[in-house]
Amino acid sequence: MKQIAFYGKGGIGKSTTVSNIAVILAQQGWKVMQIGCDPKADSTALLRHGEAMDTVLDLVRTKGNDVLLEDMVREGCAGVLCVEAGGPVPGLGCAGRGIISALEKLKEKGALEVYRPDVILYDVLGDVVCGGFSMPMRGGYADKVFILTSGENMSIHAAANIAVAVENFQKRGYAQLGGLILNRRNVKNEEEKVQELAGDIHSRIVGCLDRSDLVTEAEEMRMTVTEAFPDSRMAAQYRKLAEEILASC
Amino acid sequence: MKQTAVRMSTYTADVSGVCSALYELGGMVVIHDPSGCNSTYNTHDEPRWYHMDSLIYISGLKEMDALMGNEEKFIRDIEEAARDLKPRFIALVRTPVPYMTGMDFEAAAMRIEEETGIPAFYVPTNGMHSYVYGAGNALALVTGLLAKERSAAASGKEHPLRINLLGVTPLDFSVGSSLSSLKAFLSDRGFEMISCLAMGSSAEEIAEAGKADVNLVVSSVGLKAAKVLQRRFGTPYVIGLPCSFGGEKSRFAENLASQLQKTAECGFSVNLCSGNCDVNHSEKKAYIIGEAVTSYSIAAAFAEKYGFLPRVICPLDSPEELMADEILFLHSEEDIVKQIEEADLVIADPMYRALAPAGADFIDLPHEAYSGRIYRNRIPDLMHLPDWGTEHDL
Repeated sequence: MKQIAFYGKGGIGKSTTVSNIAVILAQQGWKVMQIGCDPKADSTALLRHGEAMDTVLDLVRTKGNDVLLEDMVREGCAGVLCVEAGGPVPGLGCAGRGIISALEKLKEKGALEVYRPDVILYDVLGDVVCGGFSMPMRGGYADKVFILTSGENMSIHAAANIAVAVENFQKRGYAQLGGLILNRRNVKNEEEKVQELAGDIHSRIVGCLDRSDLVTEAEEMRMTVTEAFPDSRMAAQYRKLAEEILASC
Repeated sequence: MKQTAVRMSTYTADVSGVCSALYELGGMVVIHDPSGCNSTYNTHDEPRWYHMDSLIYISGLKEMDALMGNEEKFIRDIEEAARDLKPRFIALVRTPVPYMTGMDFEAAAMRIEEETGIPAFYVPTNGMHSYVYGAGNALALVTGLLAKERSAAASGKEHPLRINLLGVTPLDFSVGSSLSSLKAFLSDRGFEMISCLAMGSSAEEIAEAGKADVNLVVSSVGLKAAKVLQRRFGTPYVIGLPCSFGGEKSRFAENLASQLQKTAECGFSVNLCSGNCDVNHSEKKAYIIGEAVTSYSIAAAFAEKYGFLPRVICPLDSPEELMADEILFLHSEEDIVKQIEEADLVIADPMYRALAPAGADFIDLPHEAYSGRIYRNRIPDLMHLPDWGTEHDL
């Protein structure tokens, strides 16, 4: 089983990218589980075509320990198993602790033994701001971390922070850095800036995604590009990226 | 209002349970906490504190260290102390603060083990479970660590049936004569004791635990360790405590002894605290409140002597395997009060008197894990319970 975590600045396109990769791997015959680690609980929205689903933490809150594994997992596009960790009411509680509780609950309920996924994709909110957000890269969870970034300074700064955290966690046996994914915003010298970052953190760019209106168009249809426009150039880029990621793991 | 306890006390929590289970085994136990869990433990939960040395420590976690994720101090302090003390193992105990901040104890234990060369593990407590959870997990972890592989048995050599006692801590058995009586009961019936987890046995004796032919689980605390030994060595187990009244023989206790023989021969584990009592519940509404295995065993011996079976109420978080129809698992004061509101007789720790209905007869059965040292000198020998019939209308 391969376990892969995706990090990057908020709004950089993690959920869209991870969902496309999930669909591609599922279409290739892999059993894929995508776990959204974000209180907004919208990681798997495109896989569910906008259909609502309960988050793990909402279920635990309402049903306590009687919560069933099948309530936490929903099958989405191409059979991808969708899970949303969920989190506290915005501005209250502790989102990081929420991620830990949700992932522990999935483990406790035997998600891996019951569903036996070949690939688990963790779509993690923003930066590694506290212990909770490092949970998906801890021992027993992801083996590789990929960081999405554009050439925008804030995005590069966030990616560098995440890379430093991954490096610092090596002596704890946490996940290794798999590489950077350049999600283009078409800023000046974008590729060079991200290449420079890759050099600084002793890593590499594993794939590049163009800025494309098709992504927005597919999102309006509540689908991934891979599903809505499978023959498009953008879908081909996602397929190439998925291939590179698998090869890096 | 299920979570509200107005008259009820609380049981010893999971953190103290870990310390209690590991107290005598030569390991260094570190509670990662500002300080508070340790004083609760040594003041209320540990009768051995003043007459037996142990390596129980508190990390002295500070607010800023917790907020800033400064785990280096915790790790360095332990490494430094361990180099001086040379403990057999290092156990890290999680408490509410590091639980809430999501500290990665597995990673900390791994680093400490790598740096010191001393086996290190952590027990996933959070201060919100009972001692059954903490002590149960700690015993399972330390059993897995200490029990060494079995060498091939010498063929053709007859030996008495060898046994481990699992789940013995002062929290359920106190420091009176219960344990020596239990050992004498088994010895009189020809069993050879390999180890007792975890009172009165050295780590060297526990290392030999895999040699046992059968294990006896005498409290809920011992069940997880029994599972570990079953997985590692295929050793079956029997759940139950051979209680009796006075010096009289009890069928339940004798049946337990013969069941140990049968289980050792056939290899199938048996829970005697489920559907094994041949006395029906009577019209008299009687209840015994406490830990599941000891309470059910007392109830079974009681039924033989007095002709009616008290219903067991267990307010503790217990392993699923113990969830039998005969035992009511009620965790809130509200549910317990409702269950016993028409009781004729309640047998429980004296601190439960506040919950018993006014007209009910009440028999004191002090329990260290519930009232600590308050009634310690009145805790009976569970193998030789007093004749309650002389003072009560039974």
